[in-house]
This record gives sequence, structure tokens and C-alpha cells, in this order.
Amino acid sequence: MNEWQRVHPASPFVHGWLAIVGLAWVYWQNTDDISWAERFTGSRLAWTVGIGSAALALVLIFYALSWYFTRYRISETHVYVNAGMVFRSQKQARIDRVQGIDIAQPLVARLLGLAELRFDVADGSASVMRLSFLRKAHAHQLRAEILALAQGEIPVQEEAAQPVPLMAKVPAGRLLASMFLRLPTVVGVLLALVLGILSLSGVGVLVAGLVPMLLGFGGWFYKELNNSWNFSASATDTGLRISHGLADTKQQSLPAGRVQSIQISSPAFWRLLGWYRVEVNALGVGEEEMSNLLVLPVGDFEAVTQVMGILLPELGVENQRAVLHTAITSGTDHGFTSSPARAKALSPGAWKHQAFLSTGSCVITRFGWLSRSAAFVPHRRIQGMVLQQGPWERRRELAGIRLYSAGGSIMGYMHQLDEQVATEFFAAQARRQVER
Amino acid sequence: MKIPMESSPNNFTAVDPDYFKVKLATWLIQTGSYLLVALLPLILRLFGLPVPWWLVILPPVLVLGLALPILRMLRRQVRALGYREREEDLLVRSGVLWRKQLVIPYGRMQYVEVTSGPLERRYGLCKLTLNTAAGSATAVIPGLREDTGQALRERLVAAGEANLL
Repeated sequence: MNEWQRVHPASPFVHGWLAIVGLAWVYWQNTDDISWAERFTGSRLAWTVGIGSAALALVLIFYALSWYFTRYRISETHVYVNAGMVFRSQKQARIDRVQGIDIAQPLVARLLGLAELRFDVADGSASVMRLSFLRKAHAHQLRAEILALAQGEIPVQEEAAQPVPLMAKVPAGRLLASMFLRLPTVVGVLLALVLGILSLSGVGVLVAGLVPMLLGFGGWFYKELNNSWNFSASATDTGLRISHGLADTKQQSLPAGRVQSIQISSPAFWRLLGWYRVEVNALGVGEEEMSNLLVLPVGDFEAVTQVMGILLPELGVENQRAVLHTAITSGTDHGFTSSPARAKALSPGAWKHQAFLSTGSCVITRFGWLSRSAAFVPHRRIQGMVLQQGPWERRRELAGIRLYSAGGSIMGYMHQLDEQVATEFFAAQARRQVER
Repeated sequence: MKIPMESSPNNFTAVDPDYFKVKLATWLIQTGSYLLVALLPLILRLFGLPVPWWLVILPPVLVLGLALPILRMLRRQVRALGYREREEDLLVRSGVLWRKQLVIPYGRMQYVEVTSGPLERRYGLCKLTLNTAAGSATAVIPGLREDTGQALRERLVAAGEANLL
């Protein structure tokens, strides 16, 4: 501590293994008329060895320089990371401003047992400071030390307070089953079947158009799978700690105070099994600013209550469990207000299930017909509201409200309420918004 | 009209009527350029290419069929635009068929922008945009007189500082 240290010597390779692959590919492309036997015989042998070793030496020199010039230092107050030989970059983060440290492992790093630390600093800078790469154990230890410093404690050698495991890892079987029961997968599989039948019967033209779509589904499926694989969550003293990943593993901490809104959704087929999925909008957590953070890929009601107990411990009602159950299923028990029967013509399936409840701490909204989702937006997280009414809704004296929060795309969506109810709620909520 | 959105229309400050001219000019430019594309088959036919008649007639009819109803709504759309400064929040309403009313507490405001394009500048107008931490909760008030827009911005910024939550 408190002196300059170097990162793991294999780090440049993890950053730049693509360069090696790229060089090999370029070489291969330019000489693909030569067979393997020719490459290693006669005068070609000298060329092959020469080019190969020259390229290797070049890459190694760059890697060595890159490694040499990448250093980090942890003082009592700051974390410094210096990198670059020609274009030097010096970054630092104030430790008391560090809000969280994620541990990420891209595929190659994982194969080598290395990990990257990502510092989330609340000083207004948009970019995340990265320290890559360290041995995994060292990364964990460093994370614990810095977090301890951030809380103004004396550095400790071992992991400080062990997080309490909240639930077991989501079993791979259940995860796969849940993935295959989602609409995009069903559509993708059907599409693949159609594709297969068509290509067997010899209709080639149509097939060409479907392939990109199928690739799109594949990409979506892989992304979801990579995000949800080996998912586990544990409770820390400030919030949730989640770890997940198939090829790239990642650990993220999500302080409960940064949750802006929560969405619990249940795709059509999942409802038969009583499975739910929980996502949140959070500030300063996750890669992209505008994407929702997955906190439970698939789980039953029990798992949902556990996660909700940490993310939103105060639901603002007395019988939290019962209200939560009503919120994510259907019905108007416990004071939920649903769409009036007039809405039937506009949403023949969903009108019965659209409802909202304003509690002491948040607004709960539910909508959807076959697949349903419920959003929980705490009153003090609402950034703005819209009251809206289309021409058909106006005829039936209906109106809708949207509640916007920061950090992602989840919103409170109150669809086709009675006009009177909606206006009153809108006015009351606007007053509530400015109360202090 | 007994619509919740307009239950108190008099409390809203309407935008400048000149904004209709900006909308009209925008409509003319848009419709004109679409029409130009839609008339392409006719031009080709005039040059003696064998373009079928339906291809000559259908596109311009479609363009006009979509654009003329919009033209009819333009004036009402401009009249529907309005804002209202309340003690601690800003209300913005818009829309004729699809009515919207947005409310943003001053304390949630992150920054206020006043912009004006070439068309708006010609009529001495500007557009005020109020941003919050949530991308969707953005209030846009077009068609303000330039001095009104600046004054409103000053007031909003002052109110935002006073109401930091």
C-alpha cells in the first residue's frame, strides 16, 4: 500500500489478445495460397519463422512497455491509476467518494484467473475508472481494503463483513426453462423451424431474409443467458450484491439508496409456474446509463419478497406481503384501483388487470394482459409525470398517467383509469412531489 | 369541452400565436419535399418511361391525404400548447387529439436550455427545454417570444435553486 505497484504481467495480453489474432489472420489472408507443407520447407521456412518471430517480438515489446507504464497506487485518500507510454493518462479517485467497486472478469481474464476492478466514483465524471488486471484473490482483497477505507475504517487484511447469501444460485435448469418460455425465444424457435422446413423444400430466397432475424434472436438469447447465468445475490449492510455471468463474470454492488424504481414482470408462460423477474433503474450502477439492471432473472414469489425486502423495505403499507402479492398478480384487494369496465372496448384482455395503488412510500402500478408487469416507483424518486388522453379514451372518459424516474426505462404506467380518478391522483401526486 | 386536461385552461399561458407561422413553414417544407419524391413517377412518365398510371397517381394522393389533415390541425395544435408556472412546479400541456399534461417539480430540474432555429429566429421565437435526471421527463415549450423565453429561464433557474430537494 501507498507505493506504486504494477498490475499483473498478463494484463496487456488480456487487453490485446485480439491484436495477436488479428496479425495471424492478416498473415493467413495474404498467404492462403500456400499449403502447410510449403510453409515449413525450403526457403519458405526462413520466411515463416522470421515473420512469425518478428511479429511476436513486436507484440511482446509493446506488451512489456504497456505493462511497465501501467501502475497504480492506493494512498489513504486516493486511488491512482497511471497508464500509457506515448499518450499518458493519470487518473485518480477520491476514496471517500467511491460509491461502489465492481469486480469484472472478461472471458480471457477469467481463463487466466484475473479480474478487473471498476470504481464507481460520485464526483460527476461520466467514465468509470478501471484497474485491470489483478489476480482474482488480490482484487477481492483490494476491494475490501478500499471499501473499508471509504467507510473510514482501518484497513483489514481479510474480507470485512461477509455478505449474507440471500438465495441460492439460480439453478441452470430453471434458468434455461425460463428462457425458453419467453416470447422472443418461442418466436425465434418457431422461426428456426420455418426456416428449416423452407430450406428443405427448396425455397431459398425467403430464407435469406430470415437469417438476419434469426441471428438477432441468437444475439438476444446469448446476451440474456450471459447476464443471468450463475446468478446469485447476497445482502450487504447497504444493499444487494449480485454476481453473474457465463463468459464474462461480474460482481456488482447495488446500494438500496440508489434504486430509483423497480419492475417485477412475469411473461405469459411464466405465470403458470409462478415465476417472476425483477429489474431496477439505478443511478451509477451498470455499464450503460439507460439500461435496466437485472436483480433477479427468475424466481418464485418467495425470492421476490426477499429481494424486495432489501430494495424497498418500506412498502408503506401494513400487510406488505399481501400487497406485494396483489401487486404482481391481479385483482383489486388491499385498495388497488383498477380500470373501469368502460375500458373493456379499448383493452379487452388487460382492462381487468390494470391497476394502481399509492402507498405511504411509493406508487405501485400494474399493467399487461398475458404477460404482466408491476412497477414500484417511490414518491421521492419521481422526476416528472404525464397525464395523457387519446381521442378514444376521451370518449369513454378514461385517462392515463406515466411516472418517470431516472436511471433507466422503467416507468410507472397507469393505463386507462377513470378520468376523474386520474385527474385527482395527478393533482394530489403533484402536491406530494413538492412536499418536504 | 369537459376534459380534465382543460379543466382550467385560463390558468395556462399560451405560446405566441406567431408560432403557427413556424409550424406552417415547417409543414410546407416537409410536405413539399415529400411531394417532390412522390411526383417522381410522373416526371419519369413525362420523360417517356413506361411507368404504370397507378404508380403515378397513388403516391401524391397518399402524401396529400396524410398532410392535409395535419394542416387542418396545426392552428389548434399551436393553441393547445401552453405552460403554467405554479408555486413549486411547472405544468406543460400539449396536443389536440392526444392530450398531454406534464408536471415537473422545480426541485427536479437539472438544466434549462433556450434554443432557436433559423425559422424560429425569423419570427423572434425560441424553444425552452427543461431537463431532469430522467430522460423521458423533459418539458419542451416551443414558440416563446425570445424575451419571454429568457425571462422564463431565469425564473425557472432561480426556482430550481430555491427548491433543491
